[in-house]
Amino acid sequence: MKDYNIVTPKEEIRISTKDLSVKYGDKLALHPTTLAFPRHQITALIGASGSGKSTYLRSLNRMNDKIATVEGQILFENVDVNQPKINVFELRKHIGMVFQRPNPFAKTIYENIAYAPRYHGIKDKRQLDEIVEKSLRQAALWNEVKDDLNKSALALSGGQQQRLCIARAIAMKPSILLLDEPASALDPISTGVLEETLVELKKNYTMIMVTHNMQQATRVSDYTAFFQLGKVYEYDKTVNVFTNPQVKLTQDYVEGRFG
Amino acid sequence: MDVKKVDHLAKRIIQVMVGIVAVLLVLIIGYILVTGLPQESIDFLFKPSQAVKAGGGIRDQLWNSIYLLILALLISIPLSLGAGIYLAEYAPDNKLTHFIQTLIEILSSLPSIVVGLFGYLVLVIRFNMGFSILSGALTLTVFNLPLLTSNIENALRSVSDEQREGGLALGLSRWQTIKGILLPRTVPEIITGVVLSSGRIFGEAAALIYTSGQSAPALNYLNWNPLSPESPLNVMRPAETLAVHIWKLNTEGLTIDADIVSAAASAVLILVVLLFNILAHYLGNKLERKLTGGK
Ligand SMILES: Nc1ncnc2c1ncn2[C@@H]1O[C@H](COP(=O)(O)OP(=O)(O)O)[C@@H](O)[C@H]1O
Ligand SMILES: [Mg+2]
Repeated sequence: MKDYNIVTPKEEIRISTKDLSVKYGDKLALHPTTLAFPRHQITALIGASGSGKSTYLRSLNRMNDKIATVEGQILFENVDVNQPKINVFELRKHIGMVFQRPNPFAKTIYENIAYAPRYHGIKDKRQLDEIVEKSLRQAALWNEVKDDLNKSALALSGGQQQRLCIARAIAMKPSILLLDEPASALDPISTGVLEETLVELKKNYTMIMVTHNMQQATRVSDYTAFFQLGKVYEYDKTVNVFTNPQVKLTQDYVEGRFG
Repeated sequence: MDVKKVDHLAKRIIQVMVGIVAVLLVLIIGYILVTGLPQESIDFLFKPSQAVKAGGGIRDQLWNSIYLLILALLISIPLSLGAGIYLAEYAPDNKLTHFIQTLIEILSSLPSIVVGLFGYLVLVIRFNMGFSILSGALTLTVFNLPLLTSNIENALRSVSDEQREGGLALGLSRWQTIKGILLPRTVPEIITGVVLSSGRIFGEAAALIYTSGQSAPALNYLNWNPLSPESPLNVMRPAETLAVHIWKLNTEGLTIDADIVSAAASAVLILVVLLFNILAHYLGNKLERKLTGGK
């Protein structure tokens, strides 16, 4: 077996990293990592807890600014966006993020979605209405909440809240969606709904999703990267990673021998 | 004794203590209301006070208390919002910040008579503001600022980081995240804090005796020129508040009916403070429910 197996997808690449490494203080949490993510596909980041998946993911939209030292390149639209001169607020409009625990704002359902687009300059009420409806439809939440748009988002169930957070993220019309264990706080039924939603969203978005649930990775993702102690050992089509891993560590992990 | 008995006994003792506190409270408030209220008629609230004669009211004192409260809040809310936001969201986690936080804690436990004397020496004498509403309002600000600042700081700190990251991840700036996402979330807590502190300010006497003064020149409520000495809006006039009035009636009151007026004024004071507390609960709960959608 090999030590590493990192493929470069044949598809059009939407975002990639070159030797991206992350340090928290002196501690190297992510060794230089080179990965390329194909357009309109879902890539799963798997690996044991503490292996650096979130660290990597959060670096992509510069959420680790001020928290960690991130070195190396992040190539997005032919630009290295890991440079001080890049406007991170602008960048985050293009690279949306959904977190582990649903974090709706203490606002109405409508405002949760409309707030950021309005701040970014869309003031027209009709245009905002449209954005709200479209985002909620895409996040498969419209039918459940269309009569309650003026109710507080905090009254929704956990699964609904998480789909609202997805709607909120896609309302910015990002091209990339980062998801950090988006289903880990949800019950199995809500998880199922969420997974279907994600697969549906593939039509329009390139997604990178951290998950500790291997069934979930096989169900929804096209590519899978396996992290272990701050390094990526294997990156390939999901089928290959799970049925025919090239690296011993990956094999042990997907067969459940540890992690 | 077995565990169950000990547990039972502990619970009983605690219940008795709570009972004592409750009974004491009811007795005090009941006593004040029972002695005070029957003395009162509606026009007691709208009559000027008397220095010597019987039958004085509390019109001007009541107005002074309200006016001082409003001014003190107008000054202290923006300041404490700024300070609270800075401490919770921007201040680096270092020695200087801890030092400031400690100072604020100390300041918030200063006896109000000390704050009052500080106001007297610095504002009334040094800055030549005299016994005035302005001196009083600024002194009340010193008295109120630390509490309100910690109230706001704590409210912000209790919001989870996920909310901050949620805002930042949408491309909002740090300030926009604070203003648009964190602050609305803390509104119920902040309002509760403000209303409770209003109650404290309203009932405060010691900090005002030597700052806003102990005399209440008769006011003319038709004169809205803030520069005129008889105008209720004038901030440079001395202004005895309700709480100071009560203190004064009981220490050097010359009126024959000082006892009666003082009892009645105390009842009004207690009622207003109670009202503030009930309002704080009501508003806090209501806003909370509105925010969480009745969950
Ligand atoms: N904010 C932080 N400060 C310091 N160390 C951190 C921080 N976040 C994560 N780490 C460390 O970095 C390593 C990788 O963490 P993380 O990326 O969260 O792992 P995963 O998402 O795979 O569970 C862990 O050892 C973790 O303790
Ligand atoms: Mg993680």
